Amino acid sequence: MVRRRKVLSAGSLALFAPSLTLAQSRNAAETAVAAAKKFSGTEISIVWEAGLQSLDPLKYSGPKWEKLTGIKVKVVEVPTDQMFTKIMQDFRSNAGAYDALNVIPSWMPDLVKAGALEPLDALVDRHGYREELNDIAPAYRDNQMKVDNRIYGFPDDGDVMLLYYRKDIFEDPKMKEGFKAKYGYELAPPKDWKQFSEIGSFITEKMAPKTYGAGFFRAAPYPQYMYQERFRMEGGQFFNADTMKATVNSDVGVRVLRQMLSDNKFMPPGVEQWNFVDNLANFLQGTTAMTISWPPYGRWAAGYGTNEEAMKWVPKTQVSGKVGYALNPLGRPELGVGFALSVASTSKKKEAAYLFIQWLNSKQTSLERVQLPYTLRDPFRTSHYASAEYRKLWPDAGAYLDTIKASGERGLLDLSLLQQDKYDEAMSKALSSLWAGTDPKTVADSLAAAFDAITEKVGVARQKDAYVAWARKPGAYPGK
Amino acid sequence: MTTATSLSHRLSLFSDRHFKYLMVAPAIFILLLIGVFPLVYSFVVSFQNLTMSDANTSFQGLLNYRQLFKDTRLWWALAHTALITAIALPLELVFGFLLAQLFLERMPGRQVYVALLVLPTILSPIVAGATWRLMFDVRFGPVGQIVGFLAGSPVNLLWTVNPNLVYPAILICEVWQWTPFMFLLLLAALSNVDASQLEAAELDGASYGRVLRQIIIPAIKPVIAIAVLIRGLDLFRVFDIIWALTQGGPGTMTETISLYTYVIGFVQFDTSYTAAVAFLVVLLLTVVVTWVLRRMELVR
Repeated sequence: MVRRRKVLSAGSLALFAPSLTLAQSRNAAETAVAAAKKFSGTEISIVWEAGLQSLDPLKYSGPKWEKLTGIKVKVVEVPTDQMFTKIMQDFRSNAGAYDALNVIPSWMPDLVKAGALEPLDALVDRHGYREELNDIAPAYRDNQMKVDNRIYGFPDDGDVMLLYYRKDIFEDPKMKEGFKAKYGYELAPPKDWKQFSEIGSFITEKMAPKTYGAGFFRAAPYPQYMYQERFRMEGGQFFNADTMKATVNSDVGVRVLRQMLSDNKFMPPGVEQWNFVDNLANFLQGTTAMTISWPPYGRWAAGYGTNEEAMKWVPKTQVSGKVGYALNPLGRPELGVGFALSVASTSKKKEAAYLFIQWLNSKQTSLERVQLPYTLRDPFRTSHYASAEYRKLWPDAGAYLDTIKASGERGLLDLSLLQQDKYDEAMSKALSSLWAGTDPKTVADSLAAAFDAITEKVGVARQKDAYVAWARKPGAYPGK
Repeated sequence: MTTATSLSHRLSLFSDRHFKYLMVAPAIFILLLIGVFPLVYSFVVSFQNLTMSDANTSFQGLLNYRQLFKDTRLWWALAHTALITAIALPLELVFGFLLAQLFLERMPGRQVYVALLVLPTILSPIVAGATWRLMFDVRFGPVGQIVGFLAGSPVNLLWTVNPNLVYPAILICEVWQWTPFMFLLLLAALSNVDASQLEAAELDGASYGRVLRQIIIPAIKPVIAIAVLIRGLDLFRVFDIIWALTQGGPGTMTETISLYTYVIGFVQFDTSYTAAVAFLVVLLLTVVVTWVLRRMELVR
């Protein structure tokens, strides 16, 4: 009996040995391409954020995948704020219009609970992708990939907030001397928000209106990510974990709102209306000496790829070679949005869709994609951070990658609860009231009331489970 | 035989009498299908728990209607809508009337001026809103620059952020776009006022105020009533201009009932609750419109 088993297993081994050897010698991208060829001649659809982001599948990865496998990719462009809705609509109507999806990780629990996402573990194992998943930076891999310990998406965008500052101003001897004389410490990237405020005020005092100390995007919906980070870094907790009562109106919450409002004073007039592009334009034109934003600012400030046709809208940088990169004050920046690649549970071409996202997300293809100048995908793999190729893209690219890596390692997760979009909207509304001059205490109280109303509607017990699961994650609160 | 003839005669009579109904029946059926069915269906939905994220769509009685009373954001949205309507409507009416009076007289290039005046009404409201957003922009907008020029120094007017300026910004845009509509209707009405009565009043030495009160207004009253009703309903549904200018902000300070309904219905997908809100609005509008129609003696 034993002998027969041995013979059988030896026989099987002999039978499958060539394919095993072949699979082992292939990387995940090649494996996906080889397996996908059987779907040649079909078409898959993928939901992608409208605008610059979608130029990746439209101009680069879609055509390349078709050339490699014969599978056509239809890109469904959807504005960010409608992506959740469109995905849920397709799922609820069982239309099966989407095969692959771009999912914002903070929505993942909602989508999984609804049943809209396909669990990917079996496909990951079948197509030998598990090893390459380990190369994804821990902040994204450990927090943005799984729900209830099952894989539902591949983190595909290293979104994290970075502090950009003007090295030429910070290294100017006169400025350094004047600053030290006034505040008693060296002029350097701020370590905390008090320093940020002092440095910002000092630069504005010395250089405005030509250059102001700092500028941020203040128009909805992005400032809420900065609020989430600052609130937690100052010691705030969103909820009382026992009662699920919102605690955003604690002393910390009010203080943070007050400080954020006060920072506007040393920023350019009208900063309250700035959106992503306004803030970018002002920084690139040298109107602001510090800003906090996602990684593309760093590439564009260096002038990388801005001559591309698709990048004509990016103002020409006046600060190339003058920009330094640093961790945000208090050192744990918000990961802020991000994207994961998933497969729709209603798709009729799940395996083809899966193979496409494995190929996109693989070490080999993703390194090419994060270097595309016209998209907004940011490095998210350990191998991206170390890439010699990337480090040569512009003189400071090495420092840029080191800062992204350090920021990602310390990154704070976006709040992620059931019906998170409603909490996000409440935070955006609260901040917009704050910029309009509403008293910070009133704003905090209103925000807490809005949070409580949403929690009550979702169901306190259900939401408590979701909150506790989120709060347990390493990047939820800074103490962890 | 007699019975057969009688039956045939009766059928023929029935057919003659009811043929017209048979002819319009398909159209009525389609109208009912696309008009009444959604209404009935949304009424049913308003008693359910239909949301985007919850698979449980069971009936929950009057829960959604009870929630209406606790929803302060809803009542504020209604108040904002009423405020905008209450200010914009009289302004549009008065400006429209004054313009109509002005253009009643023969003047060179009258037709060109009228055509130019009507241009804003042709624009899509979302385009009008976006255009005014640029006009109000703190850095590039001409409005701030003109005010700065008049003030003698640059001004930092945050029209879409400052609580004191945000309503004036919306009203300026709204009145700019829709006054021409009032103007056109009133110009047509004023052109039809009996000239002999006006001449007689003038010969009798009646003042302009008296002529206005006793001849012009009564003559154009039905047109005013229709214009007010149309614009009043439009203002109650105002969405595009505010969406383009402020998106209901700062906070929810300029959120109207249409914006709020859109947010809960098409952003947050609280479908059942949105249906309940929609029925509240229908109820309120029915009461108001019925009252207005009676008051204006358009329906007796």
